[in-house]
Amino acid sequence: MAHRSSGFWAEAWRRYRRRPLGIAALGFVGLLVVIAVFAPAIAGTKPVLCRYKGRLYAPCLGYFDRRLEPAIFAKDKFRGTYPKNLAAKDPESWAIWPLVFQDPYRPVRADEWPGRPENPAMDQGHPTWSNLFGTDQGGVDVFAKMVHGTTIALLVGFVSMGIAGTIGIVVGAIGGFFGGWIDSVTSRLTEIVMCIPTLVLILAIVAIIEKPSIWHTMAIIGFTGWTGIARLTRGEFLRIRGSEYVTAARASGAGPLRIMVRHILPNALAPILVPITFGIAAAILTESGLSFLGFGSPPPSASWGSVLNGARSNLAMWWLVVFPGTAIFLTVLAYNLIGEGLQEATDPRLREARK
Amino acid sequence: MISPDPLVRVTDLTTHFPIRRGLLRRTVGAVRAVDGVSFDIARGRTLGLVGESGCGKTTVGRSILRLVEPTGGSVQIGGSQIRSLRGDALRRMRQRMQIVFQDPYGSLNPRMTIRQILEEGLVIHRLGDAAARRERMLSALDRTGMPSVALDRYPHEFSGGQRQRIAIARALVLEPEFLVLDEPISALDVSIQAQVINLLVELREQLGLTYLFVSHDLGAVEYIADTVAVMYLGRIVEQAEAVELRRAALHPYTLALFSAVPSVELHRRRRRIVLPGDVPSPANPPPGCRFHPRCPLAEAVCRSVDPSATSHGGHTVSCHIATRFMAESENDVQAASARLSSSLAVAAAEPVR
Repeated sequence: MAHRSSGFWAEAWRRYRRRPLGIAALGFVGLLVVIAVFAPAIAGTKPVLCRYKGRLYAPCLGYFDRRLEPAIFAKDKFRGTYPKNLAAKDPESWAIWPLVFQDPYRPVRADEWPGRPENPAMDQGHPTWSNLFGTDQGGVDVFAKMVHGTTIALLVGFVSMGIAGTIGIVVGAIGGFFGGWIDSVTSRLTEIVMCIPTLVLILAIVAIIEKPSIWHTMAIIGFTGWTGIARLTRGEFLRIRGSEYVTAARASGAGPLRIMVRHILPNALAPILVPITFGIAAAILTESGLSFLGFGSPPPSASWGSVLNGARSNLAMWWLVVFPGTAIFLTVLAYNLIGEGLQEATDPRLREARK
Repeated sequence: MISPDPLVRVTDLTTHFPIRRGLLRRTVGAVRAVDGVSFDIARGRTLGLVGESGCGKTTVGRSILRLVEPTGGSVQIGGSQIRSLRGDALRRMRQRMQIVFQDPYGSLNPRMTIRQILEEGLVIHRLGDAAARRERMLSALDRTGMPSVALDRYPHEFSGGQRQRIAIARALVLEPEFLVLDEPISALDVSIQAQVINLLVELREQLGLTYLFVSHDLGAVEYIADTVAVMYLGRIVEQAEAVELRRAALHPYTLALFSAVPSVELHRRRRRIVLPGDVPSPANPPPGCRFHPRCPLAEAVCRSVDPSATSHGGHTVSCHIATRFMAESENDVQAASARLSSSLAVAAAEPVR
């Protein structure tokens, strides 16, 4: 018996690894994370790194937050265009440029990049070598928009399901563990929230709030989407509460919090994680749908759904449908595959059936 | 048993579970799982509690430890009134009273290593630093015959017998005085049962433990227990020293139980007494003697009057018939038992329906 004892999650990972589709899906989401993190280095018009007037700067950070863009460039009146200004104002300067010189928020003008014509606008902007995924009506490069929109697609999933998961697990755990009137209260609360139509609520809130942002959307999806998780958690807690190892823990003097966190939650987590993963996919779809309707993240932030929105007025611009549509489809598919893989790796009953 | 200074004294313990119905969850009745149970266990001794499934014997064990809230009566362990303990006091008391469960597959958390399982009680009761805790865990494992490498393994890597040893180690690590053994061998293979029961006897001798041994296996109870209490439908119907009970049982139910124990000694083989019908629901126990619907010797008085416990020198029985037989045999327990046994055999031989 030389082998190391492996815990539940190590075993689950071993089983998960056997599914090529699950691994591919995990790899795809990993790729999206890499794209989101390195978005300003993949597509942009601000240097990743440059030397200007004797000092090193990373103006590309301005894509994450405007305040991160070094102030010196605003003072020297760059007006956001770097290549010519850098050469003109400091002949000694050098810069490392993003892989694709295109901006997600504005069309690139003629000769901004040596020898590159102005971005075509309207239905002229089909995919070319300088605009990989074409341009939208305003002449903004679709590839750059989508690369920078990856962050939103990922954030929507993680933030909204982070909120929903936390609320759902806490509410479900309390109801399932304590039972009685506490359970009645949490169950009724869950049912009430379940009745709220998410989409309508988001539209209403967007109409009320002065400056709606993507964070509002995430928060609303999170605050309305926890009901299923709460019900599942309640059921799991109810089931495990009666198990003998919980009674044994009580016999040892463990308090409610300790029993819930140390004994019940680890045993309940696997089946709860599955719907959370599916929830991430659903949240991404909801956000895309909202953006498509024009209620999503307001400009200048670019989401995949808002690119789709551009195609509404001109169906001839097929590239505005195909590329973001495929990206949304693949991402949602990937999360669903991960959820399914997780379910199969952690649910002993499914495992038996597949043998 | 009346002993001068028992470690455990249970007096008139009742545990009723409410039955709720309807939208308003009104209480419409109660399952009288334990309905007036009293016994003493002297320090270092073992009380065996036997009965069919559903008779409430498991609930007695759990009620004593407050794992189930009793509804009445009193429980005294080492001078503390268990039922009046609250919060921290109850938690401190838990260190002195532990439990081993029937199912070693259900009683160990599958997500925790043996180290985590054993350490939990020590952490809760803040017993010792890391080194001292490790020492105690290793000694508990050693006492139960488990190797120290078990610490970093998970329950699923062990067999049923090994798991039960780990469960015993978990109880021992807190160094309790009193252990409730809730059918600790019933879920094990027959070959393992003897090992575990011998381990329990050994531990009792070494550590001076006091046991409440709950089981439906009369053979095992006779082996380990000093005193045996027989339960039927929430009540103790007969209680005596193990040897005495074997020699001269007085309650028809006890005699029926004994007749069902397989014996290898030919001359001791008794005629099997088969009780008609099933155990009635504890939600609606029969009037009079609770055993009367199944008792082959039941008479009119049994159907109306609930028999009270009568003691014959440490041998307590609750049965009208037995009390009468005792009187007729001039309080010779053995003679009364023999007479009862033969009339039972005659009565049970007749077609009941």
